[in-house]
Amino acid sequence: MNATRRGLNRFLLFLVAVVLLGLGALALAVGLLPGGTDTWTSVMGGFQGWLESLGRESAGWGAVAAIVVLAIILILIASAAVRGRRQAPLQSTGSANDEGRITVTDGFASEALKNALGERDEILSSRVSAGEVGKESVLHVAVTPRQNTSPRDVAEHVDTLVTNLAALTGQNLRAYISIHSGLRAKLARDNTRVH
Amino acid sequence: MTDTVLRTVVRRETHSPRTVAMLVVVVLLLLALAYAAVEIILDLSGAQPLLVAPGEALNAVVAAPTALMPVAFVVGGVVLAIVGLIVLVLALKPGRLSRHEMSWGERAVVVDNGVVASALAQHLSNESGIAREDIVVGVAHRSVDVTVRPPVGIPVDEAQLRRIVDEEVTSYKLSPAVRTHLRVQRPDTKES
Repeated sequence: MNATRRGLNRFLLFLVAVVLLGLGALALAVGLLPGGTDTWTSVMGGFQGWLESLGRESAGWGAVAAIVVLAIILILIASAAVRGRRQAPLQSTGSANDEGRITVTDGFASEALKNALGERDEILSSRVSAGEVGKESVLHVAVTPRQNTSPRDVAEHVDTLVTNLAALTGQNLRAYISIHSGLRAKLARDNTRVH
Repeated sequence: MTDTVLRTVVRRETHSPRTVAMLVVVVLLLLALAYAAVEIILDLSGAQPLLVAPGEALNAVVAAPTALMPVAFVVGGVVLAIVGLIVLVLALKPGRLSRHEMSWGERAVVVDNGVVASALAQHLSNESGIAREDIVVGVAHRSVDVTVRPPVGIPVDEAQLRRIVDEEVTSYKLSPAVRTHLRVQRPDTKES
């Protein structure tokens, strides 16, 4: 679970696509339309003349400056899009009454879940992490069951564990459960029930 | 599941973030920009160009239509347009991953299609007595294809198999919903 800025990724791809399509259309117009060649030569010639009128030095450094600015913008957008990929810090939740205060850290919660899941034979591996989506924390339980295990059984089991944990810590957790297949599941012994 | 936060999570986990495509495009653009900057700086400092000096490159661009055949422009334009279209498709298509959401009360559950396929095959094998190796299940975004190859001489009740598959698939409460197709494939036993 990560918070990559998907909109930004797609926006950048969209911009590049529009520029590429525009250049393609331009090249086609020059190649196919009558008079396209003349227009190209006069427009590009005018551009070249303008560059030369600036003088070699200033045109060169101006171009370098423009390139640097463009590169910085690209790097900023790309890093903004990817930076969302950090995990939320493990948080602690607690309840207080007259007797005192109980604090349960997410670390404990995740260990408890992992241990409980590890006892099941049909679950090969599990990973519990806390993520943040729009300032709200979400518990992510990722499990890889053996092949042929019913995802319904797995979901039911994890759901029960999370519910129990919620009862224990006194806080209703927002949980996201993902059930994976993978190389590990393919290589391990199948879960074949014998009737 | 009504929680908007979990809705967001499920949408994220079932659709490609397009990070790889974005990074590839950005890195290619940065390389091109870096190359241009290097050539210009080399030219300004009076050193030999790596490939071509910027002034000559500009001359070549201006003279391109007369120096090259119009065909070159057409080909170049088509290539650029195709690459542009590919990037556009990447930008706009939903990019669904091969996963399904299982409707599960207050929890968000996302399951890989492979898990559904193998579980369904095992269930059908258990219920029908057909060997697990003779059942092939493929799960796609909106359909589940089950192919059964029973051994020669063993009769199978297709309606029964279909009922078993439908019941099991329904119990997974997959979203988006899937349609099931069942096919019984008999080995070629024609005697002649």
